[in-house]
Amino acid sequence: MNNHQPEISSALFTATVFTRKKQRMQRIVGIVFGIMAVAILIPLFVLVTYLIIRAWPSLTWDFLTDVPKNGMRGGGIWPALVGTIYTVTFSLLIAVPIGVMAGIYLNEYAKDSWFTRIVNMAVVNLAGVPSIVHALFGVGAFVLFAGMGKSIISASFTLAIMTLPVIIVSTTEALASVPRPFRTACWNVGASKWQTIRTIVLPNSISGILTGVILQVCRAAGETAPIMFTGAVFFKYVQRGDFFPYHLNEQCMALSYHLHTISTQVPGVPEPMLYATAVVLLGFVLIFNSFAIVLRVYMRNRKKW
Amino acid sequence: MFRIETSAILKVLSYGIIAVSCVGFTGCGGGEKKATKTEKFVIATSGSDTMVNLVQMWAEEYQKVNPLVTVEVAGGGSGVGIRDLIQGIITIANTSREMEPVERDQAKQKTGKDPVEFIVAYDALAVYASMKNPVDTLSLEELAGIYGENGQIDKWSQLGVNMKAIGVNDEIVRVSRQNSSGTYAYFREKVLNKKDFKMGSKDMSGSKDVVELVTKTAGAIGYSGMGYHTEHVKFVKVAAKKGEQGYEPSLDNVLSGKYPLARSLLMFTLGQPDATTKAYIDWLLSPAGQEIVKKAGYVPVAMVKR
Repeated sequence: MNNHQPEISSALFTATVFTRKKQRMQRIVGIVFGIMAVAILIPLFVLVTYLIIRAWPSLTWDFLTDVPKNGMRGGGIWPALVGTIYTVTFSLLIAVPIGVMAGIYLNEYAKDSWFTRIVNMAVVNLAGVPSIVHALFGVGAFVLFAGMGKSIISASFTLAIMTLPVIIVSTTEALASVPRPFRTACWNVGASKWQTIRTIVLPNSISGILTGVILQVCRAAGETAPIMFTGAVFFKYVQRGDFFPYHLNEQCMALSYHLHTISTQVPGVPEPMLYATAVVLLGFVLIFNSFAIVLRVYMRNRKKW
Repeated sequence: MFRIETSAILKVLSYGIIAVSCVGFTGCGGGEKKATKTEKFVIATSGSDTMVNLVQMWAEEYQKVNPLVTVEVAGGGSGVGIRDLIQGIITIANTSREMEPVERDQAKQKTGKDPVEFIVAYDALAVYASMKNPVDTLSLEELAGIYGENGQIDKWSQLGVNMKAIGVNDEIVRVSRQNSSGTYAYFREKVLNKKDFKMGSKDMSGSKDVVELVTKTAGAIGYSGMGYHTEHVKFVKVAAKKGEQGYEPSLDNVLSGKYPLARSLLMFTLGQPDATTKAYIDWLLSPAGQEIVKKAGYVPVAMVKR
């Protein structure tokens, strides 16, 4: 009896089979999910390391600033790099004003009606259209119908159409995340709708909008299909290190398309050059991505709520 | 404090966008003005994948001859070049086949000008096989038997090639091209006598893809321009008739007319070319331009007796 007493009390406070099972499950789930989280890092890490190791012999400053030479088997990628900067910049100049204004309208002004529901549905569906379809649309609408020909401006318009939906969606999301009391407080001191948007809503959502925009920069830089038929060429000579080599009505080289052509069309391209082109494209995208992250962190720290 | 800063950022951003777009548009206008001043001139070309590397080398070299003229080079296949020419969005179409009468009519209808043809180089359509493959010579009939719609040849043993000796599947892996390719059209005309291709071939979208796949696949056979030859792949000798002697696609064999699958590489312009384009084409046909043809692995025009 005397021995039995502490046993009961310890049995009361030690885990039952049920609790132990629960804890075991908890631990297993934690470990498995943790492994999954780490696993998504592995491909990225392996990919980047592999690319850089293979590309190392070609990764020089000259590679960035020189023009392709010796039948594209030597030299650098300057024309393609500048071409990508051109198409991305001009597509943003077209897409950002339109997208942000449409997003503001949809979130701030529009009432929930059949019209806004159709617009929203159209935006979501547009975001799901494959890039090759955008490319064909670009050929029909800009190159042929609008008479822009194959040119940087056609390519930029095509990329803009492709990036618009996500810019609109990220704008509406960012605006919607601003708490409603911010607006009501502002209205209560007599501000108009536009004054409220300009001074309160936009400054508080700018980080979200910019993040969406910058992610679209990456997409515009990486896509091959939309520019392939609308304004990217196999080769075009520009001066080494020339920042303004192209007119808007001319075609240009672009990084993504250049990678495609030297890996499928040109025989005897040294392997490091192929990988180095990929690294530059990846670097372009990663730099913009990290810029987006830094900006978001900075803006989030300044938020008051 | 916070509000002032972010709205300042907003302001800077919006001014930035306005400024950049102003610069963009005035830059565009200014560029055109500059164009007339310095006579900067762009020749847009597109077309044959067989020729794209040759044209690229020309474009690169021509920059040194006349720095004011920039040549845009795009590929896609002869069909793409001809389509672009018909729509009037390029100056020169590079093709490895003739324009068909229908296409000439379309060009005339759409642009009001007749396409003008220039022969800029000669090419031999080469048949490629893996280094491991013991095959030596194939006749045109045998090639038609392999690739043609009703062709009966599916196995290497039917051609007297013993693949078992090197431990490779007897099945012939046929490598072909997509149908916008001029090489595809030429092969269909010359080897298959305009009959259709057999289904089930691997259709690659570039000449280099064909040669690379054949290089890696021991049981494969493929065709492409002779300029795509590398030291890791071999030419199959081609004979005009079964039992006759086969020839490799070499400079000499093309020039002497012994190789049965020689063809011309062409450029088309809409109407007679303007002075700048004419100067470019004249340079291509000059000894300096034709030297590059040789370097690219094709046959210069001047060396062929007409």
